[in-house]
Amino acid sequence: MLSPNTPETKPIKLSVKDLAFCYGEKRVLDGLTLDIHAERVTAIIGPSGCGKSTFLKCFNRIHEVSSAVKVTGDMLIDGVDIYRGGIDVVDLRRRVGMVFQKPNPFPKSIYENVAFGPRLFGVNDRASLDLLVEDALRKAALWDEVKDRLKESATGMSGGQQQRLCIARALAVNPEVLLMDEPCSALDPIATSKIEELILELKKTLTIVIVTHNMQQAARVSEYTAFFWLGKLVEMGLTERIFTTPRERMTEDYITGRFG
Amino acid sequence: MNDSSESTLAATKPLDAVSGTKRIQPVLPVFRQSRLHRLADRWSHLLFLACSLLVVALIGGILFFLATRGLAAFFPLAGNTGRTLSFSEVFLTTDWAPSSDRFGILPFVAGSLAVTGLALLVAAPTGILTGVFIAKLAPPWMRTLMRQVMDLLVGIPSVVYGIFGLTVILPLVSRTWLTNAPASGFAISAMILSVMIVPTIVSLATDAFESLPPSLDEGSQALGSSRWQAIWHVLMPAAKPRLLTATVLGLGRAIGEAMAVQMVIGNNPQWIALMRESTDRAPFLRALFTPAATLTTELVQELPNTAAGSPWNNVLFAMGLLLYLLTMVLILTTRRLGRGQEA
Amino acid sequence: MRTLPALRTSPTAKHVDRLMRGVLWIIALGFIAVLLIFVGAILKQGWPVLNLGFLTKMPETLDAGGGIKPQIFNSLYLVVLSLGLSLPVGLGAGIYMAEYAGKGRALQFFRLCIETLAATPSIVLALFGMIAFVQTMGWSFSIRSGALTLALLNLPVITRVTEVSLQSVPRELKEACYGLGATKLQTILKVALPYAATGILTGLVLTAGRAFGESAILVFTAGTNTSGQFPDFRLTVPGETLSVHLWSVTSDGTLPDAREIAAGTAAVMILILLILNLLVRFLDRAIRRRTR
Repeated sequence: MLSPNTPETKPIKLSVKDLAFCYGEKRVLDGLTLDIHAERVTAIIGPSGCGKSTFLKCFNRIHEVSSAVKVTGDMLIDGVDIYRGGIDVVDLRRRVGMVFQKPNPFPKSIYENVAFGPRLFGVNDRASLDLLVEDALRKAALWDEVKDRLKESATGMSGGQQQRLCIARALAVNPEVLLMDEPCSALDPIATSKIEELILELKKTLTIVIVTHNMQQAARVSEYTAFFWLGKLVEMGLTERIFTTPRERMTEDYITGRFG
Repeated sequence: MNDSSESTLAATKPLDAVSGTKRIQPVLPVFRQSRLHRLADRWSHLLFLACSLLVVALIGGILFFLATRGLAAFFPLAGNTGRTLSFSEVFLTTDWAPSSDRFGILPFVAGSLAVTGLALLVAAPTGILTGVFIAKLAPPWMRTLMRQVMDLLVGIPSVVYGIFGLTVILPLVSRTWLTNAPASGFAISAMILSVMIVPTIVSLATDAFESLPPSLDEGSQALGSSRWQAIWHVLMPAAKPRLLTATVLGLGRAIGEAMAVQMVIGNNPQWIALMRESTDRAPFLRALFTPAATLTTELVQELPNTAAGSPWNNVLFAMGLLLYLLTMVLILTTRRLGRGQEA
Repeated sequence: MRTLPALRTSPTAKHVDRLMRGVLWIIALGFIAVLLIFVGAILKQGWPVLNLGFLTKMPETLDAGGGIKPQIFNSLYLVVLSLGLSLPVGLGAGIYMAEYAGKGRALQFFRLCIETLAATPSIVLALFGMIAFVQTMGWSFSIRSGALTLALLNLPVITRVTEVSLQSVPRELKEACYGLGATKLQTILKVALPYAATGILTGLVLTAGRAFGESAILVFTAGTNTSGQFPDFRLTVPGETLSVHLWSVTSDGTLPDAREIAAGTAAVMILILLILNLLVRFLDRAIRRRTR
């Protein structure tokens, strides 16, 4: 884990400046400014309804699918604004993968779930697909469990397996960033610990942003932690520091369980 | 950052447990959407839009074609090869004798209203009550059974309803009472029509009751009201706009039905004159069993026998136009009702 | 101090409650009885007529003993043709309304048009088909006039069922697909439509049943004659269907055995519709199993 006196060596992957997010007339996020480093895990914590999930969805603009929203401010990936910088939203979503709160595999076979992404991009030959599917399943630490039943329906798996399948599905299109929206909230402790181990492995190559309301989880997996409250960023810093010597009274109260 | 150094909450873990054996990782390509996919995505919505616009165009197209022929009865349009009729002689007289150049369609309008009204008189209350029954009172097995019964009733073709009326109900009625009467007429038409439209009313009424918040029902019963009191005083008024919509749509189906009614109503355009002459002591009962005609039955009966462009033919199309405009009015009425419910 | 009266459900209210429960049961059972009597009577009348000869012989014009072979063919042919015409348009319009039209005025207007078309009496559609296809296009009473007009009857139902089925696709599935970098079109074609397929198929079977039973439209567009050949796939010949045949033999009265033929035809139609109904229930169960 990164400690306060070792300097950060990884470059900034995602950069947010003065971001505001309006849902109709309602302002959900306001004045957010923060940086996220490559190959680090950044945890976002805060009470329910503080806008942390919304914030996560801003990174791949998935909120645009279902509702009309207004986003102001800057949001950069590798220095390019994802809302204005001529970035194609479809390409952005390929680069910024997402894992959702509830496991949401497609009602298809395990194999087809993972192969779905590559197929979207025109990969259709069997050999390449086999390779990609195996690679993604291995990265998601699922290969050994499912290699003999790739043709079976994904909906028959356990919740934890389904969630790792969703991670594999996201990995199969080779993303640079992985957004995780409370990925363990629907899982039991054993499945949760498997996902956490997986996150620690994945961060070697990926930038990971994880929303969680489990403080221990944030402490276990992340290098950086951001604390949100009512759509505003209260405090952000190295996880170790946030959890030991928070600067804000509110952060301390939340971490120690005095509210939220 | 001048925080104290050593952490207490640091919880790192060795990672070799995760992927285990070493292996060669394939170098993943940077996937990109092909030009074709992007182009297809950009333009495909126009295709879907065109399909929707086709439906809109059809609504207009039907109106246009019916109007060119129907209005030709009243105006010297291209489709009119005979004499131009006046609105009053068509809509306000009861004398229909096209071969003698008399074109009063009032008997058909009145016939349509009468048969529809009678059918609704039976179908609306029973349909709504069945809706309550399915939504609130019936045990689950009965609920499923009733839904299937309604599905089957709505699926039976109108000519089969017609043949049933012709071969089963008609002989039955003329044999049992009113032996010297032909028996065909409004009563039997309405009876068959009511069975035909009841599934529409039942399914919409069931939806109406099921969509009410359960708290309404529970709230009323928690005050000690009986099940029926809750239904009558709380649920029925709450569902009223949607029940009215159900009735209006049932009305629409009844007024537009052609074949089944045509097979049993007796097809007598002169029914009003016949009624007038009759000296029966129970004229209303007699009217129920007098052969009559409606807008739709007259179209089925006479349209194939008329020459295009003749006033006779044009008046028939005007009757079709009337039915179409009526449909539009009914649909707009249901919209109105729906809006009242939201407010 | 006054004591409050004890509030009890009055005996009358109890009686009314029991009475009305009874009435509701009687009405419901009444409808079941109506259906049973109906189907029973039609099948009983038609049963003596139903045999292989009736189903496989050509119809007679003046003598007794004719069959309904070409009418069965025409019925199925017209159902398939009209569904083939209305399915692509209905799917397209349904997709537009569910996925592209948003929630504003445009959607309301399209819905209004669909509802109007759905509520338009088939006799009015018949008049339209007669003017537009039979007369203006000069196609006379033919399979193509019939199929096109019949497609108008199917169109609103297919559009509506497509829209509703697409709306029932869980948002998470669509989001998962978008999250992988799929375009909107890919999401619709690869995730939403396959998920909605069973629902659309159920609607399609119901529509087929309706088109199969339709008579008013076809009397005025496909005519009351057959071409005299079997099987005749030409689109330009008149094509009398089972339901039209049932109507025309009853109202013409030239056949000595019109009664028997009508009874037999009605029984055949009821049997085919019962089979379709079983198919719908089977599909319905498939949907429920998946959503569970």
